[in-house]
Amino acid sequence: MHGSNLYEGQKLALKYFTVAIVLFGAQLLFGLFAAIQFMYPNFLFGVLDFSINRMVHINALVVWLLYAMIGAVYWLLPDEAGREVVGIKLGNLAFYVLTAAVAVVVLVYLFIQIGPGKESTIWFITEGREYIEAPRWADIGIVVVVLIFLYNVYATVMSGRRTGILAVLMADLIALAGLYLAGMFYTDNIAVDQYWWWWVVHLWVEATWEVYVAAVGGYILIKTLNANRKVVEMWLWIEVAMMFGSGILGLGHHYFWIGTPEYWWEIGALFSALEPVPLVGLFVHVLYDWGKETGKGNKITNVPAFSWLTVETFGNFLGAGVWGFMHTLPQINLYTHGTQWPAAHGHLAFFGAYVAIMIAAVYLAIQGKAGLKELKMTKAGWWAITLITVGVLLMTVSLTIAAYVQTMVERGMYGATWEGFFAAQNNEWFWQGMCWRLVTGLMVIVGYIFLVYDLLTCTKKQPVQESEAEVAAAAA
Amino acid sequence: MCIEPCTDVVCSFWSRLNQGPMTLTITLHMLIILPMIWIYFDEKKKMEQGDIPEE
Amino acid sequence: MGKPSVWSSNRFWRRSATWVTGVSAVLLILLTFDSMSQMQMGTAQDIKNKVDKRIPSPVVINYKIDYQLSRKRGHEVPIIGGMDANGNSKYEEKEKFFGRDNYSEKEARELIHLGKLTIQAKNCMDCHTLLGNGAYYAPDLTKAWLDPNWNTLAPAYGGKEYAMATFLQNPPAMAMHERKMPNLGITKKEAKAVVAYLKFMSAIDTNGFPRNFGKIKGAVDAWK
Ligand code: HEM
Ligand code: HEM
Ligand SMILES: [Fe+2]
Repeated sequence: MHGSNLYEGQKLALKYFTVAIVLFGAQLLFGLFAAIQFMYPNFLFGVLDFSINRMVHINALVVWLLYAMIGAVYWLLPDEAGREVVGIKLGNLAFYVLTAAVAVVVLVYLFIQIGPGKESTIWFITEGREYIEAPRWADIGIVVVVLIFLYNVYATVMSGRRTGILAVLMADLIALAGLYLAGMFYTDNIAVDQYWWWWVVHLWVEATWEVYVAAVGGYILIKTLNANRKVVEMWLWIEVAMMFGSGILGLGHHYFWIGTPEYWWEIGALFSALEPVPLVGLFVHVLYDWGKETGKGNKITNVPAFSWLTVETFGNFLGAGVWGFMHTLPQINLYTHGTQWPAAHGHLAFFGAYVAIMIAAVYLAIQGKAGLKELKMTKAGWWAITLITVGVLLMTVSLTIAAYVQTMVERGMYGATWEGFFAAQNNEWFWQGMCWRLVTGLMVIVGYIFLVYDLLTCTKKQPVQESEAEVAAAAA
Repeated sequence: MCIEPCTDVVCSFWSRLNQGPMTLTITLHMLIILPMIWIYFDEKKKMEQGDIPEE
Repeated sequence: MGKPSVWSSNRFWRRSATWVTGVSAVLLILLTFDSMSQMQMGTAQDIKNKVDKRIPSPVVINYKIDYQLSRKRGHEVPIIGGMDANGNSKYEEKEKFFGRDNYSEKEARELIHLGKLTIQAKNCMDCHTLLGNGAYYAPDLTKAWLDPNWNTLAPAYGGKEYAMATFLQNPPAMAMHERKMPNLGITKKEAKAVVAYLKFMSAIDTNGFPRNFGKIKGAVDAWK
């Protein structure tokens, strides 16, 4: 495949990836501001308060991951289905509409920030609900854009090849989109509010997104290792069974303390305790295929993509599986809920499960765009993956230390009061944790700069090789 | 006897299934997993009869 | 390849995945119906009839609220309007809230409606946690109404609701730590509504979260 040989769907994918990587940068920048404020609270006070920085940080995260997820689907869809994406004009239009809407939302976040306690604020400024703060008008816009996307996917698969990977993706994307609706209403009852809020947040990251990752991970394995499709697809169905089987009722681990009935203690604890199992499966599968295929003499045709996929499987297991399990039993969650624990877990889980695989997908697209048979790791690419991965790992460790202090001091010793909160925040160990978080955050940012540089230049730095087009020309 | 008194705020169907350690969750897990045994034997039968279309 | 096995058949796993996903989804929906029925906001009538509700009627702002260990349930529960000998709410002892203890159901609902809208419009959850969910930059607000801190400030302001409302309208002026809450332009009316919401929220039955709230300061000081 040469540049001009890309499907239109794949060109659209490149646009999605570009915006995704830009928003990734914004995420890191605002995360940095928030981290500085933990140590120097007067930094940007009254200009960009912590709440605003944090909101932009986590919204940029969710939105760029969604962009990259849509991008990856547009990339693999024509390849898998063996035909051009149906309704590509509409798809392009949706991309520009979505991007304009995101830009407006961000400008409003930064310059208007908050509003009076009225319905109009919910409609036009912010909904004030973590992760899904986007105002109602934007919610509706997102739903329309996603409907177009789903139409593209369904219409293409219906008239093309229907592989197992596409079958899983089709079912999963419908559920993923439908769940967003659960977060689109207002109620005075904060318990009911949070009940449905978790439908979006948990059933995204611990069910539908995980299945998405399993499907796209399978595609990347086939592409980079030439793994056996039948085996990959069998694994995929097993993963789906285990992820949905544990993740759907595992939702209960958020229903321990929000005004919900007591039976959720048991349901939430024991279903969510099984959630790490499929995550072990993922990395065992990747390592197994790696050994098997390279043993057969197959070369890895895209080293950066495969490396990021490997980081994904370990990161997913560690961040979501291990760090999630650490605080998922109610006896423990009673003391860790609402502390730095979820923050430590959230960083490694989001990074490990989603960021890493999306970067892998971008590398796959970069290779395809340049029409290279093989993509090797460059020096810059090596620095990027090392700095970002080690940075996030160490950040998680720092936050975990801070989390221990907060749990012990604020919860254990002081019984969760205002005084206890500040006693923990001012504890030396907590403070050091925050300090290291800032340092490791800078490390991630340097890694990000390497990453952007590498994405822009790596295809030009490859050892000389025949492109597929040249091979074809020579044969003719 | 073995039936524990319910101490929940509201004693619904689900809280009654919750009889001490793990009864509720074991019930639900069984409900989900046991029918897979039936699926297994059904597939096995079909496989032996050779009515599985080639994928 | 050897004899085909069901264990390595895609069909078997596809059917299993569909089954497992389907039943889990149905169970979640059934459980959700049950939970929703238990989580509806109570009414003034429930309070009159002394019926415990997980999320009580907003008229609880007319009552004294406390958070005490329940022997029966093994953790702390909100106690509304005084505690009887069995450790249950009596729904009797009133407490003035901004000078009144006779808010009607309608008035109380209007107050907490404005309170909740304000809480969302000002984005409280991106610094604080509410029911333990949110951000970790500022204290948990689940039981903020009962925090001993406000009892110490209360006398100077003529009651803790006044102290809290004054704070909310211009937090930097009453800052107690270097890490300050910003001025969010909360009006007097909104401040009263937010405080009403906090009082109402402290009466939600959270299955004992947070544990030992405000109880063990003495133990901490004991070794000092
Ligand atoms: C990739 C998958 C996952 C991601 C991205 C993820 C992310 C998160 C995030 C960001 C939060 C904090 C939410 C907030 O801001 O309040 C959270 C909470 C939580 N997660 Fe995960 N998670 C994942 C998987 C898991 C798994 C597999 C488990 C259990 C084994 C788990 C257990 C928990 C628990 C118990 C909480 C609640 C913490 C609390 O509020 O007390 N997570 N997760
Ligand atoms: C430069 C690097 C980063 C810095 C300095 C940073 C800093 C922060 C800060 C200060 C918070 C607020 C925590 C609080 O509420 O107390 C936060 C939250 C969060 N960040 Fe980051 N972050 C960085 C990178 C990342 C990355 C790479 C990811 C995901 C892959 C991420 C995901 C999140 C999530 C999910 C939350 C919400 C956590 C929760 O509420 O539990 N951050 N981050
Ligand atoms: Fe969860």
